[in-house]
Parts: sequence; C-alpha cells; structure tokens
Amino acid sequence: MPSRRHFLAGLAATSLSPIQSWAAVGSPDYLAAALFPDGSYRLAGLDTGGNILFSIPLPARGHAAAAHPHRAQAVAFARRPGTFAVVIDCATGTEVTRLNAPHGRHFYGHGVFSPDGTRLFTTENDYDSGDGVIGVWNTDSYTRIGEFPSSGIGPHDMRLMPDGQTLVIANGGIETHPETGRTKLNLPTMQPQLTYLDLSGTVLEQMELPRALHKNSIRHLAVRHDGLVAFAMQWQGDKVHHPPLLGLHRRGEAPRLLSAPDAAQSTLQGYAGSVAFAGDETTVAITCPRGNALHRFDVANGQLNGDFPLEDVCGLGSGPKGFVFTTGTGIVGELTSTPRISARPDCHWDNHLIPIRKPA
Amino acid sequence: MRILVAAVALTLPLTALAQDREPILSDAVEGHILPGFASLAETTGVLAQTAQTDCTQTSPELRGAYHAAFDDWISVSHLRFGPSEVNDRAFALAFWPDTKGFTPKALSSLIATEDAAVESPEGFAETSVAGRGFFALEQMLYEPNFADQGSATYRCALIQAITTDIVSNARAINADWGGYSTALTQPGDDSPYRSDDEAMQELYKALVTGLEFTGDTRLGRPMGTFDRPRPNRAEARRSERALRHVELSLTALRDLAARLSADHPKIAADLDSAFDKAIIRAQSLDDPVLAGVATPQGRLRVEALQQAINDIRAIASAELGPTLGISAGFNSLDGD
Repeated sequence: MPSRRHFLAGLAATSLSPIQSWAAVGSPDYLAAALFPDGSYRLAGLDTGGNILFSIPLPARGHAAAAHPHRAQAVAFARRPGTFAVVIDCATGTEVTRLNAPHGRHFYGHGVFSPDGTRLFTTENDYDSGDGVIGVWNTDSYTRIGEFPSSGIGPHDMRLMPDGQTLVIANGGIETHPETGRTKLNLPTMQPQLTYLDLSGTVLEQMELPRALHKNSIRHLAVRHDGLVAFAMQWQGDKVHHPPLLGLHRRGEAPRLLSAPDAAQSTLQGYAGSVAFAGDETTVAITCPRGNALHRFDVANGQLNGDFPLEDVCGLGSGPKGFVFTTGTGIVGELTSTPRISARPDCHWDNHLIPIRKPA
Repeated sequence: MRILVAAVALTLPLTALAQDREPILSDAVEGHILPGFASLAETTGVLAQTAQTDCTQTSPELRGAYHAAFDDWISVSHLRFGPSEVNDRAFALAFWPDTKGFTPKALSSLIATEDAAVESPEGFAETSVAGRGFFALEQMLYEPNFADQGSATYRCALIQAITTDIVSNARAINADWGGYSTALTQPGDDSPYRSDDEAMQELYKALVTGLEFTGDTRLGRPMGTFDRPRPNRAEARRSERALRHVELSLTALRDLAARLSADHPKIAADLDSAFDKAIIRAQSLDDPVLAGVATPQGRLRVEALQQAINDIRAIASAELGPTLGISAGFNSLDGD
C-alpha cells in the first residue's frame, strides 16, 4: 500500500523538519474527501492513476479542500453549513489546527491560498444579515487577520486568477440560515453573480446573468491559464426548463453559455456539480451527479463534444491527458477520448477533486 | 453525440422495472391537484369580490374570506412545478419567508408614493412579488403599522389590487392545469416528462420538499436556536395562522403520500401512521402562533413535532423513493 509507505516516510521526515513539502507525501496530484467503509470521513491524497497516497480522518463529512501551494498542508472544509475547517499536515497525518468561523458565520466549503501561501481566503455566510463574506487568515498560525464582503449573497467556490492578484468568486445568490437547514430563503429575488475582487476586497468587476436566468445559481469555478473562467450552475427554477449549466467568462466581455442539445440537457435535472478545463485547455467539462453524466465541450466553438454516462459522478479536475474524475461509487477515472476507470477503492468520493499546484 | 463505453455503462444504476404508473398519476391529478387548485380559484374569487364590497382593515367578512382562501393556498403550496412556477405565480401568491422585510417595505413604498399601479391589474402585476399575495394582504389586514399609513382611500385601493392580483394568479394556475394535467399523466415527446417515472418523481419531489419546508422552515424559523428563539418569525403570526399552516400542509401531504404509495400497502401504512402521529402532535400544541418556542417546555413540544415530520421524511426517502427509481447517490443527494 503506497499510503502506508508514504505515511511512514512522512513521519520519518517530520523529525528533521517541522514543515514538509508535497514531495514528502508522494507528490499527490489531487485532494478529495470521501466516506470510507469503516464509516469514517477522510481526506485523501490521490495521484492521477487513482492511487491513494495518504488518507487522514476528518471530524465530519467534508466538501472541498484547499491545498497549500508548497507546504504539504491542506485545509479541509466541512460540508455547508459547517463552522470549522481542519488544517492538516499531510506528511504526518495530524491536525495542525482548526479554523473556527467567527460568531454568526459559517463556511461555505471552499477556500483558496494566496500564491505565496502566506494567506488563506475562505467563503463565508454572515447569516443574520445574509451577506457573503471572504475571511482572511494568516497561515503561520492560521489566525484570522481580516475579512471583506464577497459583494453578493451565498459565495460558494472561489479561485485565484492567473495574475495571482485577483480572486474570482461564485456568489451563488442563495440565502440560507443554519436555523432552517438548507432551505433556500430568497429564490424569488436571488441574483447570482461572478465577482472579481483584488486581494484586499476591492470589487474589480461583477458579471450577472440575464434576468431570465436569475435562478441559475453560479456555484463552482475553474480558471484557464489565460484568465478564461468556467462556471458551473445549479438551476433553482422550474425543472420543465433546461437552461445551460456551464458558462465561460472573460473579464470585460459578456458570458458565453454552453448547453447540450435539449434531449441530453433535460436529463441533467438542472444540476452541475464540478467544472474543470482539460489538461490541454481546449475542452471544458461539467459533472452532473443527478443526471449521472459528464458533459464535455469544445472551448473554441462551445459545442458539446462528449456526453458520458457515469453514475454519481461529481469530482472533476484537469488531468495530464484530459480530465480526472471521481464518483460517489468509488471510481477514480481518466477521461481522454473516452472514460477509463483507473481505480475503484471501496469508498464514496465526495463532491470535489482539488488539484495541487505543481511548482513551476 | 453520446459515446457509450461498455465498462462505464455497466456502472449506471439499475432502473426500476418499467411499471404502469398511469393510474397513480391520474389519481394524483384528478383527486389531489385539480380539486385543490379549483378550490383556490373559487375562494380567491370570493376574496376579491368581498374586498370590492368592504375593504376596511377589520372587516370580519374580508378577514373570513382571507382565511378561507389562504387555507386553500397552503393546501396546494407544495405543488411547486409547472403552472405555479410560470411568471413566479407561486411567489406572487406567497412571499415567505421574508428575511429582509421586503413585504412591509414594498407596501410602505406603494402607500407613500400613492403608486398608480393599484389602478390596473396589469400595472399591479408588474410590481415586486414581495408587495403582493397573501402575506402582503395579511400586513394590510392585521398589522397595526398599516392601519393608518397613507389615506384610507389608497389603502382600500391597495387591498383591492392585492386581492384582484391573487385571484388572477390562482385562476391562471388553475386554467393552466387543464393542459398540464395531460403532460403529467401522459409523459412522452409532447410532455416535459419523458417517462412515467419522471412524472412520478416530480410528485415525489413535491412531497419531500413540502415536508422539508414545513419542518425546517415553518417550524425551524420561529424555533431559531435554544438560546435565541424567534417567535416573531412564525409564518402568518399576525393573523394567527402559523400552526394552522403546519396542520393544513401535513393534511395535504398525507393525501398525496397515500396516492403515491397506493401500489405498496406496507409503505402506505407506514407513511399514514407517521403522518397521523405528526398531525396529532400539531393539533395538541394548541398554540396558533407557535409562541411556545420561547419557553423551554414549549420548545420541546415543537421540537417533538419537528421530529415527527423528520420521521415522515425518513420513511419517504427510505421506502417510497426507491420504488420510484429515485437516485440515492452519495453526491446526487448531497446537492451543493
């Protein structure tokens, strides 16, 4: 088992130096949370072949994670509306510390490190006002050093733009309150936005969808090297409509919305789970766990160029030759021209597959 | 282009064997949906008529007509698909929860500017959904702050405009169900539903989201937290309807659940006894505005009711859902 070997290697290395690099834990390519057969929720490090290089227990069901750019540290976020996130030393398998959301806040499940790794940004809900907040934490001690408005309601996924100076935020638009579970409190008035902020919180640009699509919650993001942003959506309106669930946006331009032909689009139940660009960045894909499908599109012409049936597929990331995906049934697979199963450990992979940035 | 890969296709869920769902679909439409919306169209008609004759805030006739029509809305308020979603009709009938206080703001703004939108149904239909429907009418009929805002003439015109708008939305939903019932009972190329299973799943979704809304929102909002209960957030508390809405919705959902489980007597019996428990608990609360949430003793009783509703939800998803080919995937159920 590679997990044990690398775990021990990590332990040995720890005695020499307090903070290890990703190489010390077997150079995983991705992080993903999962439910394991013993009933534990764990965060795992995966390579593109689907090998589990390490797995570390989480206190509750996870959602997504953020990988430190060079230290072998990950922040695993609890499922919404969790109020804690766990900072994990992936070399020793130990919990470094926990981030606790300030009073009156909960995390949305996503976060991102600054390019130099000194700061962590987290998406949060100030739930009595219903306003979205971005929390800022230093990464020496993981203490909170500031915050700013996300300039929208329900900030979910957040990514760093290639300039390293800009955050792009999916302000999903849906107001929720922990007292009413996941009940959506503002569907008639919701207005999702894609928001660009600098690292101090100044709004640089906001993109809104046309009014007819105001119930299409922008939830998950992927960013291409040239700054093209792909956003995946979840439709909150009547299911007799089958609006696009994938959009592409370049700053200063209008969004392009991508959809399969209606016969295929109508099977998705208005729900996309994850979005990613392929390794060569010429195609972009969304996973649709409710429609049990992965849809791949040509970026240049916006046409569907692959509709693959995959049960409960949700996690998705760039792969060396295309995409890597995970499913709730345990599959880790690669999609090049067609999907191929790389591994199928006995676990249920959770929503997202988080790429670990490789040193340039 | 749909590329089928043998190895991958094998991992698709086994779909339930094709069954003839037509009798259940027809029964749900004929016995549950159509009578509910027909009744709403009728009582909202009486409401608008009554407001034309007597638009004073405290009029017993007007308040009586308001209660009767609101009862009928709550009894169909779980049917959130198709005709009720066209042009946000359902939201225009019932804008709640109103976390930002948009309803009183919208009404105050209409009154302060004596907005001429009240003069025509078309004009009023263009105004914010927050200032329309039953919750706006409740403010006008029961909230002391609106008893003397602006002129009596304008308040009267506003009440009449709200009730006219309510009946027009209720009649539009009812009329559209004439055609939509065929779409639901005869799935296929001419219907938004491609198969009987998809049509059944729409009704199942109405059942489970209706239960979720009643448990998590109708009860959850006033419950708040143990340290900070929020009795002022109870639904329609001004007209003392909060508990009534819980009872009415449970009664309507029980009827729908019985029809959907007609082919599975054991599941039908489990659901019925769970509904029975919840409805008895609701009736025994004897607390129309759910004010009890503010005391430890009262809160326990509301929690017990919420738990009884969660028990129904658990039976629906563990027993009824699988008979309808509902995907129970780790991610497809999570939804985030």
